[in-house]
Amino acid sequence: MSVIEYDVIVIGAGVAGLTAGAFLAGQGLKVAVVTAGEPTACLSTGCIDVCSQDENPLRGIAKLPDEHPFHLIPSAAVCQALSDFQQIMTDRALPYAGGPEKNHRVLSAIGTFKTTCLAPVTMQASPQSTDEKIHIITFAGLKDFYPGYIISRLKNASFSVYDAGVSTTMGIATGFEDNAFLEAFILWLEKRDIRENKIAVPAVLGLESAAAIMKKIESRLERPVFEIPTIPPSMPGRRLFNALKDHLRRQEGNIYWGWPVVGVEKTGRLIEAVIAESQGRPNSLNAKAFILATGSFVGGGLHARRDTIIEKIFHLPVFAPGERETWFEQDYFSANHGIGRAGIAVDSSFRPMDCPWDNIFVCGAILAHTEALKNGCGHGFAIATGQAAAKSCLERIR
Amino acid sequence: MKSEHCIRCTICVENCPVFRVNPNFPGPKQAGPDAQRFRGNREKSVDEWVLLCSQCKRCEMACPCGVEPAQMILRAQQKYGLEHPHTAAHLLFANNYYLSTLGSLTAPLANRLAATKIGKKIFQRMGIATYIPFPKFSFKTLRGEKKSRSRASRKVALFYGCFINFYRPDIGRKIIRLLQSFQIDVVLPPQWCCGLPALGNGNLALARSFAGKNVASLSNYIDAGYDVVYSCTSCGLCLLHDYQGMMEIPGAKKIAENCYDLHEYILKLMAEREIKPHFKEVNRTLAYHIPCHLRALKIGYPAANLMKFIPGLTCRILDDVCCGLNGSYGFKKINEATAIQLGKRAVSLIKKTGAEAIVADCGSCRMQLGGLSGMNAFDPVEIICESLGIRDRK
Repeated sequence: MSVIEYDVIVIGAGVAGLTAGAFLAGQGLKVAVVTAGEPTACLSTGCIDVCSQDENPLRGIAKLPDEHPFHLIPSAAVCQALSDFQQIMTDRALPYAGGPEKNHRVLSAIGTFKTTCLAPVTMQASPQSTDEKIHIITFAGLKDFYPGYIISRLKNASFSVYDAGVSTTMGIATGFEDNAFLEAFILWLEKRDIRENKIAVPAVLGLESAAAIMKKIESRLERPVFEIPTIPPSMPGRRLFNALKDHLRRQEGNIYWGWPVVGVEKTGRLIEAVIAESQGRPNSLNAKAFILATGSFVGGGLHARRDTIIEKIFHLPVFAPGERETWFEQDYFSANHGIGRAGIAVDSSFRPMDCPWDNIFVCGAILAHTEALKNGCGHGFAIATGQAAAKSCLERIR
Repeated sequence: MKSEHCIRCTICVENCPVFRVNPNFPGPKQAGPDAQRFRGNREKSVDEWVLLCSQCKRCEMACPCGVEPAQMILRAQQKYGLEHPHTAAHLLFANNYYLSTLGSLTAPLANRLAATKIGKKIFQRMGIATYIPFPKFSFKTLRGEKKSRSRASRKVALFYGCFINFYRPDIGRKIIRLLQSFQIDVVLPPQWCCGLPALGNGNLALARSFAGKNVASLSNYIDAGYDVVYSCTSCGLCLLHDYQGMMEIPGAKKIAENCYDLHEYILKLMAEREIKPHFKEVNRTLAYHIPCHLRALKIGYPAANLMKFIPGLTCRILDDVCCGLNGSYGFKKINEATAIQLGKRAVSLIKKTGAEAIVADCGSCRMQLGGLSGMNAFDPVEIICESLGIRDRK
């Protein structure tokens, strides 16, 4: 057995896990984040949804049902967590626009509007109504983006097609990191005599330098440019993940890839270590405290059996919304499926309820009563609970 | 093989370096789990593009569902290799071990020939890329190193790998001195190529023959109380994963349980308080390029953790990009453009960090990044030896 000692182990490298890990590492603790694979954040639009129940996300939080875990965090702490996040992203050259008191609209790839709190600066100029005049540029052969959907809903939108020589999201985004590619694109745009006030592109403006690439196009075309998030592979999601990962590293935190946790060692009321799968010696990561941020069903934190829902690592008690018949609504696209409430219920210090161990904290989408789809609380919820759980964890260790 | 576990989320596609720059490769999702449904034992392999996969295994590291696209593609590559004639480059690189043996025996001549215009022409004719210089053979291999025995309680059998043996025996000697400085007895057991080049070039039979011999030899040393230490991350991956997995070598489990990455081993001894190295200041700013196969080993980044003990050293970790060379992959003419594009991208990210030199565990990564950037590229062990004041005794 290979044994490695840390102060805190975070399980899950999504937005919640990376936020919690970087916060603790920033406080001088020895932190490792372990993850089975890359998080669902990579598949997301990169937007930070806090709460879509009201024009003002903070007021929206106040309207949420009493059992919602957002109520465990004081309003000021939510604002602090979001402003810390904005600072981190500004330092990583991908600023986020907006603030915790106002929701914005971001144009989606099917011409609908998504409500979000903080948006990457590349989506800042997204139209706020259906009458704005926009010109959409798409790429020849790009299968994941059809401007026709948008034009059918936005009456003042038009589009043209650029042949970039490559036709995949990854290929085009890689191309934009190259100056010659970007220059050819701008020259083509300049020749097109675009009349509309704003230029839209699918979210393919580079991997690392998206903000700089967008600024360059904006200054040459002398009008706002914005990205429209696409279906996965989603560049804004990957940029968010890469930036948070980079931030964790700069705080001296470690990441272990491809480490599905397969065992747990415990004595009395303490978890001593988690054990990761390996083809040689099992690896044991020992720590004083553990943070569980493995996400919901898609992220892999929760697993549904025929009649029960389980948490796979610590086998913590999982709140299930009644019998299986009540898990799903008839309407597939409903945001109101009962299953959205499943998860781990926690006390005010983000420790699981009815749990036999004292040194485990839970944050992110795995929390019960979240109803992320219905309430529009996504990454913003992950950031706030990630920081809150990390603070509780810090108190325990100190 | 868990192709049915794939939820088509495309996280693997985002991570595939080849897919980014080579439109002929359909990406790990299509080449792996999607195409897997159409692959039967009685169907002839028709998809030549399976050969475009570089086996960096980034898709496997990224997959949240435990699907192994690279493993599926590797098996498809073997089947394709069995059913189609091999190109000259594939044949040569599969037999890299024998070629290198010949090359180092005739080192002065072979090196000079490889650097001439005619030499390069010959390489190109055989389908071998020449955009970076071929590594120089060393006449004095590590294998020929004199044995020195002490009565230390800890004993290490060093699996040095072909790159150190044939091209950089000086690094191998440094590793030996380093371990000896901790009062560890180091031996060089009889060993052959790990088999990865043969596997990657579609010759499973040759790979298994190398693997079988290595397992037999290392197994004897493990029984005699030795820990096996490797320094090349690709050799390590092959010993730990492919011997048990793809190659199905009997006794491979024992090897995997007793094999350590060099830096992992040093960290382990430090954690067990067996050794207490006194790291001295090294004033350098380095960009640590994480080799794909170090990621795939699933042991974290031990050299990075070890280098954190060195005062004065700034080390920025870069693990999002592949260097593009992938051992013999980029040396094949058909992959040259892919390798150059990926290499240039990796270099531009390295230059952005403002580092003065590159550090990477893998010899082929260093060759590629050093060659394309003109910067110095070190093995982490060279930096650790610098800090501990250990020099290669000539």
